[in-house]
Amino acid sequence: MLKVEGLTRRYGDQTVVDDLSFSVNEGEFVALLGPSGCGKSTSLKMIAGLETPDAGSIELEGKDITDLTPGQRKLAMVFQSYALFPHLKVVDNILFGLQARKVAKDEQQRRLDSVVELVGLQDHLQKKPGQLSGGQCQRVALARAVVAEARLCLMDEPLSNLDAKLRNEMRTEIRSLQQRLGMSVIYVTHDQVEAMSMADRIVLMNDGKIEQIDVPEGLYNKPKTVFTAQFIGNPAMNIIHSDNQCLGIRPEHIEIVEEGRPARVISCDYHGADTIVLAEIGEQGGTTEIIKIRYPGHAMFAAQQSISVHWKLEYEHRF
Amino acid sequence: MDSIWFQRISKFSAYLLAIVWVLPLLYAFWAAFHPPEYATKFALFAPLTTENFVSAWDQAPFFRYMLNTVIITTIILFSQLVVCTLAGYALAREKFVGRGFAFALVLTQLMVMPEVLIVENYRTLTGLDLVDTHLGVGLPYLASAFGIFLLRQTFKTVPQELEDAARVEGLSGLGIIWKVFVPLAFPTYLAFSLVSVSYHWNNFLWPLVVTNTEASRPLTVGMAIFGAPESGVDWSVISAGTLIAIGPLLILFLVFQRKFIQSFMHAGIK
Repeated sequence: MLKVEGLTRRYGDQTVVDDLSFSVNEGEFVALLGPSGCGKSTSLKMIAGLETPDAGSIELEGKDITDLTPGQRKLAMVFQSYALFPHLKVVDNILFGLQARKVAKDEQQRRLDSVVELVGLQDHLQKKPGQLSGGQCQRVALARAVVAEARLCLMDEPLSNLDAKLRNEMRTEIRSLQQRLGMSVIYVTHDQVEAMSMADRIVLMNDGKIEQIDVPEGLYNKPKTVFTAQFIGNPAMNIIHSDNQCLGIRPEHIEIVEEGRPARVISCDYHGADTIVLAEIGEQGGTTEIIKIRYPGHAMFAAQQSISVHWKLEYEHRF
Repeated sequence: MDSIWFQRISKFSAYLLAIVWVLPLLYAFWAAFHPPEYATKFALFAPLTTENFVSAWDQAPFFRYMLNTVIITTIILFSQLVVCTLAGYALAREKFVGRGFAFALVLTQLMVMPEVLIVENYRTLTGLDLVDTHLGVGLPYLASAFGIFLLRQTFKTVPQELEDAARVEGLSGLGIIWKVFVPLAFPTYLAFSLVSVSYHWNNFLWPLVVTNTEASRPLTVGMAIFGAPESGVDWSVISAGTLIAIGPLLILFLVFQRKFIQSFMHAGIK
């Protein structure tokens, strides 16, 4: 339904978004993922119409919307800071867009009732945003986006201001809301966990360019570049340089065994469910590489202790 | 030790300044409510009277003067709010060539004493045939550099995302100013309005130059003519007249002072 073609944005002689092309299908949740400063927010703003692209086109439901104002595009948007109007009550914040677009009063009421139930704000409608917690503000912002019944909903790091626990809750909540309503969503985030757990497809960006577009499993199992391989997964994939190519192996795929490649423990980092073992492989004195091993349970290895590691051939990635 | 003394001294100075400041007003109250023979004589049990107010009211068309002042102040305030809002928004948010220069010009204007321009302004008014009209008195003040500066600073603090949100929701440029910027800058509007109203209510020199008749003469000028030495100085009646003149503004200020402080506190908590 949304098709972005060759979108480019320059600030001076710096190209922030370089020839970005991707599409969003009806009812699809697409994440724009990338490290900070990779141009994902700028891309979203161009789709919203808040930034003017230097080149490229944006097509929504077959119509070119590249030159339309943000209001004419009739999209919904959730902002990182929630962007709630502090002088308006929650109910007026939710209905802000409908009032601006002069939607009939009874229609407003009907949509308000259903959306308020959906996000659970019944008791807070008459409050001002300043009286709400971060999670509640997030819900108001969400309600404002849902109530518009827009063709496409844009979300710009909507969870980054919440604490970890709330973030996890809201993650599942947004995802289930999106699936229930069949919303088409573009979701900008720098958090790979958010993208992996919520998105149908992920557009991974780096330095203004698209690195890889794939479903979450695709990015994890078949990364096409070293950047993708190291960006997805935590801890990052180990890259072992040999001859003129790179060998990638994920920490969770390395086992510590009786017989295998020799390695020396450098340190252990206990995380509860597992331990991240930092080890050195290769000849002592020769070329060595430092790898991370995800060891289930509590590992008690002394520094400099010799161990053997092993991984299955099918888990190797070559770049 | 030092800070305690510093506090005491600054408190004492504040009270001293306040007393010096309020003395003329207290005298005006004293003189206005007592018979003329007590105007320069203090006696605790001097008889009270409202006679002075009646004679002041009869001697000069205070109602007409007051009406003129209200009309002039309203024209000025309304136009200033509109012009300063639009200019402040443009200087804070719109990107255009020469924005910095335009803002510098506005700031420069802050440093020009209005009195310097009286002759030239009078000439312009004559050309426009606006001498001795309400609009003529207000014309040089329809825009305020101070107001533009104040609102620009306030508008600059409004988060960009709020404006973006309003834009995505389909609001027009003017709609965003009216629905987002104006309500968020409300305390600034209140503060500016207080300053503007009290300045123009009390403005004297320009109205004196530009008004000739009762039709447009504001209170300040009316009072001055009323109290001019050649008509014989009756301090009691002048005091009563002064109180009539400043009464509305005094009440307005006392009422608004509460709201004024409240809205500032509200802005701080948020």
